[in-house]
Amino acid sequence: MLKIQNLSKTYPNGTQALKNVSFDVQDGEFLVVIGLSGSGKSTLLRCINRLIEPTEGKIIWDNVDITAAPPAELRHIRRKIGMVFQQFNLVKRSSVMTNVLSGRLGYVNPWTSLLGIWSQEDRQRAIQALDRVGIADKAHSRADALSGGQQQRVGIARALMQDPKLILADEPVASLDPVLSHSILQYLEQLNKEGITVICSLHFLDLVHRYATRVVALKDGVKVFEGSAKEIDRAKFKEIYGEEAQEVRAASL
Amino acid sequence: MPTARILRNTLITALVIAAFAVSYRVTEADFPRLFLDLPKGKELLTAFLTPDVFTREVETRTVSLVFPIPCGSAPTEESLPSEGPRLVPSVLCAEPLEKFTLEGYDLQPNSEVVIRWRLPDGRTMTAIRTQTDANGYFTYEVQARPIQSTVDGVASRLEVDTLTPVGELKPSQALKDVLDNMFVTIFMALLSTTLATVIAAPLSFFAASNITRKGCLGTTVYYLFRSFFNLMRSYDPLVMATVFGFWLSFGPFPGFLALTVVTIASLGKLFSEAVENIDPGPVEALQATGAPPLHTVRYGVVPQVVPDFISYIIYHWDINVRISTIIGFVGGGGIGYYLNLSINDFKWHQAGTAIWAIVIVVWAMDFLSSDIRKRLT
Ligand SMILES: Nc1ncnc2c1ncn2[C@@H]1O[C@H](COP(=O)(O)OP(=O)(O)OP(=O)(O)O)[C@@H](O)[C@H]1O
Ligand SMILES: [Mg+2]
Repeated sequence: MLKIQNLSKTYPNGTQALKNVSFDVQDGEFLVVIGLSGSGKSTLLRCINRLIEPTEGKIIWDNVDITAAPPAELRHIRRKIGMVFQQFNLVKRSSVMTNVLSGRLGYVNPWTSLLGIWSQEDRQRAIQALDRVGIADKAHSRADALSGGQQQRVGIARALMQDPKLILADEPVASLDPVLSHSILQYLEQLNKEGITVICSLHFLDLVHRYATRVVALKDGVKVFEGSAKEIDRAKFKEIYGEEAQEVRAASL
Repeated sequence: MPTARILRNTLITALVIAAFAVSYRVTEADFPRLFLDLPKGKELLTAFLTPDVFTREVETRTVSLVFPIPCGSAPTEESLPSEGPRLVPSVLCAEPLEKFTLEGYDLQPNSEVVIRWRLPDGRTMTAIRTQTDANGYFTYEVQARPIQSTVDGVASRLEVDTLTPVGELKPSQALKDVLDNMFVTIFMALLSTTLATVIAAPLSFFAASNITRKGCLGTTVYYLFRSFFNLMRSYDPLVMATVFGFWLSFGPFPGFLALTVVTIASLGKLFSEAVENIDPGPVEALQATGAPPLHTVRYGVVPQVVPDFISYIIYHWDINVRISTIIGFVGGGGIGYYLNLSINDFKWHQAGTAIWAIVIVVWAMDFLSSDIRKRLT
């Protein structure tokens, strides 16, 4: 179980991106975080694996305080938390295979991997991961030779290499068209059904309704809603998204 | 206060004029000379435009003549031949300082001839080099000198060599020397660039803010390396070569060292900027997997900077060929040094060969480096 307790983040320039946010995430949930652009969704997700250092508050995962972990222990914790990004964040000039294998860097022998040597076992694992997202045939292409949807699948395969218990997905489909969005989210849903907890930020209401088991909404860094997706009707949606609700709905429905 | 302003402006104007006057004097600027000295320049230019590139094997044929100075000190030539290659002086002997005409008949046509004295003790004195006409004829006014006087009844002789090129064109000695020295220069540049790369590439990561500038220690390291590169970069390679030259005596080695040091600084700066300009996304993704910091750099940063690094290395090799030419000129060996020697020895054609070689190599390197860099991006 992941417990987020009184989490606040103030950036060095004074922006308060998160204000005293608390909620729990049960194992096996598909939790969707919604909110306007700038509401603090990315900040929240990045605080969980401490890509961003929270200013205040605690994040406790299976009784371990992530916020208090020293560097070596933090790396140990991060191995079990996969992350999927809006911009995919692949090394474009490296092969798909290398990108996927790099998800394993927290586990393997540091000396051989520094030389770029990977065991047969890891290579097989990488091929399997690519196979799961349906692009095993692209293993030896350069990452930037793939389409956006394919690149995001490489991103998921890289996260799979970590053998994660939790996947953080920061707007994983915001750069993709609606059809591709569903295919990517279905992979995440599949992993979720196999027992991996997923925390995912999304922009579109129909996707929220379709995939979320629970929803947390942020507005200006404050948690304004926590509950099931069904509870988010038009009125609630308008409350969360404020004046821009019309626009967002037009795009999402 | 308008008076103060006028005073100030006048003072500034006066100072500026004084500064220009002094600079004009110290540079010994004499622009009319650009035109007055044109004939001299033309001669040099002609020499440079006709570089010493090819030679042919030369066959030398010598005709000679006894020529007593003063008259009566030794027997003269008894009879002059009337056909075949022969020398015909206007007089058979002469008093010191007397002038006479020497003619040559039926020599090799259109050939270079060397007219010289062979003194009684066997030493030679070259009088002049000239050319025969289409009939193999030349004429030249010779002045008898006391040094050519008869000694112990042995008279000096006039000798004339006809030099006829025969056989195939061959690369001249100058061309061979130029190629050898060019080789030294290019490889001095290559070696110094390589060594500098090996040193600068790892160090540059310490001077990249996105890699080191975190925490107290990291920030210190960052500023330390950054100032190190900036400081080293501010030294001119030529000055540094001279300093190393005094320390290690002149030759290719100090030039090579100076070039290496300057290249380390310059490449270090360029490399660290390339590292700072990477897409941070992949690095973040790797951090999120729990990869150790060194591995994040190895897998997230290095692949992104490789094309930039290669491009800078080639660019620097190109620059270093030019710099090492100039360093050579101040005693650092290679083609620059050879050019300097040629100019000091007034061997203009040889200097021309060196200059042509430099022009061609610099042009080729420039072309090559921009071509390779274009392909990389
Ligand atoms: N590195 C930073 N330094 C300063 N302010 C930042 C930084 N990153 C984000 N912010 C600010 O913090 C707030 C929350 O940003 P965040 O990226 O978490 O929002 P978001 O909900 O993910 O938005 P989006 O939907 O556009 O991705 C915004 O006001 C943003 O401008
Ligand atoms: Mg965001």
